[in-house]
Amino acid sequence: MDNLEPLQPLQEFLPQVWFFILGLFLFLYVLLDGFDLGVGILSLTAKNEERRSILMTSLGNVWDANETWLVLMGGSLFGAFPLAYATILNALYIPAVVMVVGLILRAVSFEFRENADRKLVWNVAFGVGSFLAALGQGFALGSVFEGISVDAQGHFSGSMWDWLTWRSVIVALTLIQAYVLIGSTYLIMKTTGEIQKTHYKTATIATWTTLAGAIFITVSTPIFSEQIRDHLLTAPLIYIFGIIPILGILLISLLLKSLIKKEENTPIIWTFLIFCLSFIGLGFIIFPKIIPPSITIYQAAAAPSSLVFMLTFIGFLIPIMLSYNIYNYVVFRGKIS
Amino acid sequence: MIDLLSNTVALSRLQFALTAIFHMLWPVLTTGMGIYLVVMEGLWLKTKNIDYYHHARFWSKLYLLNFGIGVASGLPMAFQFGLNWAPFSESVGDFLGTILGFESTMAFMLEASFLGIMLFGWDRVPPLIHWLATMLVAFGANLSTFWILSANSWLQTPAGGEFVKGKFVVQNYFEAIANPFMFKSFLHMFFATLETSLFVIGGISAWYLINKRNTAFFTKSLKVILAVALIVAPMQIFIGHLSAEQVYHYQPTKLAAMEGQWETVPAGVSADWSVLALPNDKAEQNDWEIKIPGALSYILEFKPSLDTPIKGLKDWPASDRPHMVGLIYYSFRIMVGIGLFLAGLMFITVVQWLRGKLSVETIAQQKWLLRAWIFAAPLGYLAVESGWIVRCVGRQPWIVYGELRTVESASNLPPGEILFSLTGITILYVVLFIGALYFGSKIIRKGPNLELSPPQLKGSQTIHEPNSRPVSINN
Repeated sequence: MDNLEPLQPLQEFLPQVWFFILGLFLFLYVLLDGFDLGVGILSLTAKNEERRSILMTSLGNVWDANETWLVLMGGSLFGAFPLAYATILNALYIPAVVMVVGLILRAVSFEFRENADRKLVWNVAFGVGSFLAALGQGFALGSVFEGISVDAQGHFSGSMWDWLTWRSVIVALTLIQAYVLIGSTYLIMKTTGEIQKTHYKTATIATWTTLAGAIFITVSTPIFSEQIRDHLLTAPLIYIFGIIPILGILLISLLLKSLIKKEENTPIIWTFLIFCLSFIGLGFIIFPKIIPPSITIYQAAAAPSSLVFMLTFIGFLIPIMLSYNIYNYVVFRGKIS
Repeated sequence: MIDLLSNTVALSRLQFALTAIFHMLWPVLTTGMGIYLVVMEGLWLKTKNIDYYHHARFWSKLYLLNFGIGVASGLPMAFQFGLNWAPFSESVGDFLGTILGFESTMAFMLEASFLGIMLFGWDRVPPLIHWLATMLVAFGANLSTFWILSANSWLQTPAGGEFVKGKFVVQNYFEAIANPFMFKSFLHMFFATLETSLFVIGGISAWYLINKRNTAFFTKSLKVILAVALIVAPMQIFIGHLSAEQVYHYQPTKLAAMEGQWETVPAGVSADWSVLALPNDKAEQNDWEIKIPGALSYILEFKPSLDTPIKGLKDWPASDRPHMVGLIYYSFRIMVGIGLFLAGLMFITVVQWLRGKLSVETIAQQKWLLRAWIFAAPLGYLAVESGWIVRCVGRQPWIVYGELRTVESASNLPPGEILFSLTGITILYVVLFIGALYFGSKIIRKGPNLELSPPQLKGSQTIHEPNSRPVSINN
C-alpha cells in the first residue's frame, strides 16, 4: 500500500459508483415489485374468483424476476458495503424477517393456488404476504429518516424495537399506499371492462392518500431530524429540494388528469416518474451516507480492488440484464382478457 | 434446552441449518431437472415426436412447483448472513459478498427472467427461442451451483489473500474463486443434483409403470434417464472419492470425524476402516465398532500401508476439532451407501434392459425393480443433505477453516429476536413442506395431459387468458 496517494480519487469514486448501482437496483426493485406487491394487496379487495384469477395471471410471468432485483441488491450490498449490509440488517432484524416471511408466503401462493381446489386460502395468503412484505419495507424506509444508532466501529448499538416509532408507522403506511397506486395503474394497463373501472377508482384514492403521506414526510423530516435539516438547508441541495416538490405536484396533477380522462397507458408512466422523483430526493437526503445518520459510503466500502472486480463483471451485466427483462415484458405485452 | 434457548450462537446456527437444509430440497431438483427438460425439448424438436413435447410439459409442472418454493425459501439465505452473522459478513464480505453478488446478477436474474418464457411462452415465441429460454434457465441454475460451491469451498480452503486484523484482504480474486476445493466440490454437487433429479423422475415414472398408466409414455422417460444415469451414477462415486481424498489432505479434523478415528495412525502402518461404530464425544472413543483391517489405507491411498499419517481427533485440543462426531460419521456413511445403492440399481436395470425385459409389453412385470425405483426416488435428497452435514458440521469449530471461528462470527442479538424468526420460519416451512407434498402428489396422480396440442404461434395476437398457465391441473 505504498502508492496510497494516487488511489485517493479512486477511493472516492468507486464507492460513489456503487452507491449509484445499488440505488439503481433498489429503484428497479421498488418500481417492479412495487406494482407486484400493490396488485397483491389489491387482491384482498377483489370480490370474486374470476377477478382474483385475472390479478394473479397478470403477474404470473414477471413476479419472480421482479423479486430477484431485491436479491441482487442484497448480494451486491454485501459485496460493496459489507459493514452496511451487516449493520442495517441487524438494526432491522424484525422488519426484515416480516418482509421475508411475507415474500415467501406470496411466492408459494402462486404455485399452490394453481393446483388447489380451494383457491381462496391461497388468495388470502397471497394478499397477506404482499401486505407484510410492503409493511417490512415501509419500516425499513422509515429508519432511513429516523436513523440507525451505531458505535464507533459502525456496529449497530440500538435495541430491537428502534425501528418502530409513530413516524415510521406513517412512512410504512405511505409506502403501502404508493404500492397500491402503482399496482392500480398496472392493472389499468393490463385489464379491460369492470375490473379496469374498479382500478381507476383505487388509483385515484391511492393518489390522494400517497400525496398526504408524502407531504407529511417532506414536512416532518426536516422538523424532527436536525441532521437532515442541516444537510438540506445548504446550497446547492436547497435548490434541488425547492424543485422536487414543485415537480411532484406537477406530476401528480398530470396523473390525476390522465385518470379522469380514463387513459390506459399514461397513468403508470406518471406513477413511474413520481417514484423516480421521490427516489432521487431520497438519494440526495442519504448521500453520502449509507447507514444514516453517521456512516458514509467511504467508511463502509469494501476494498477498492473488490469494488473494481465486482464492477468489471456486474457493470458489464447490467445492460444485459435490463435487455432480457425488457424482452420478457415485450413477449407478454398486451391485455389479459 | 434452557441453555440452547438463551444461546445466541447456537440459535443462529440452528436457524442457518434449518433454512439451508430446507432450501436445498428444492433447487437440487430444479437444477438437475432443468437439464432433463432441455434434453426432452431438444428430442421433440429433432424427432417431432409429440411424446417428448408432452414430457416437457408434464415435468415442467413439477418443476414450477419446486422452483417457486426454491425461490421463496432462498430469500432467508440471501439476508441471513447480515441478520445473524454480522461480524462474519464484515470480515469476509470483500470476497464472499462479491461472489454472492455474482451469483444473483449472473445466475438468478437469467433464470428468473427466462422462466416466464419457458413456462408460459409456448405460444408466444418460436420453438427455437423457447428452447433457448429453457437452456438459459438450466444454465442459470447450474451457474448458481458453481458460485455457491466456489463460495462454500472457500470457507473450507480459504485462498487468494490473508486475514489482517480479523478482516480478509483479497490479493488475487481468481485464486480465491478457484480455491483448492472448488473444482471437485462443484463437480460433486453438479452430479448430485443431476443424479437426484434422474432418480426422482425415474421413481415417478416407475410409479406410473407399476400402476399400468401411460406405459409407453413413461417407459420413454425411464429409458432416457437410464441412458444418462449410466454415466452419472458411476462418475459420482468416483468424484465423491476424489472429494474425500481432498478432505484427507486439507481438513484432517474433518476426515478423522468422518472415519471415527480418535487415535493417530502413523505413516508406514496399515489403517483399519471402521464400518459401523458408536462414537462417544465425551469419552473420546468409539464405544463399539466393527472394523475391516487394513481397508482405510486402501481407500485413501490405495496402498497396504500409509504414506501420510491419519491424525486422530485426540491430536487436537477439544476446542479445535468438530463435535457431534456421530452425526458426521453416520451422515458420511448414509451418503456413500446411497451413492452405491443408486449405482447398483442403475446397473441391474440396464442389465434387464439389455435382456429385453423393459419393453412396453413386459416392463410392468418387473415389479420388484420398479418398487426399488420408487424407493430410490427420495434417496438422492437424503444423500445431498447428509453430504452437506458432513461438509459443514465437519468444518466446525471454524466458519472459515483454520482462520475464523463460528462463535466469533455471530451477531450479538437478543435470543428472543432469533426465537421470533426461528419460530416464524419453522411454522412456515412446515406448511410449505406439507403443501409441496400434497400438491406434488396431486400433479402426479392427475398425470400428463396427452391431448395437449403442440404450440401454435399466435403472432401479433397479444391477449393472454387467465389460467392459461400450464401448471393448472384443471385444463
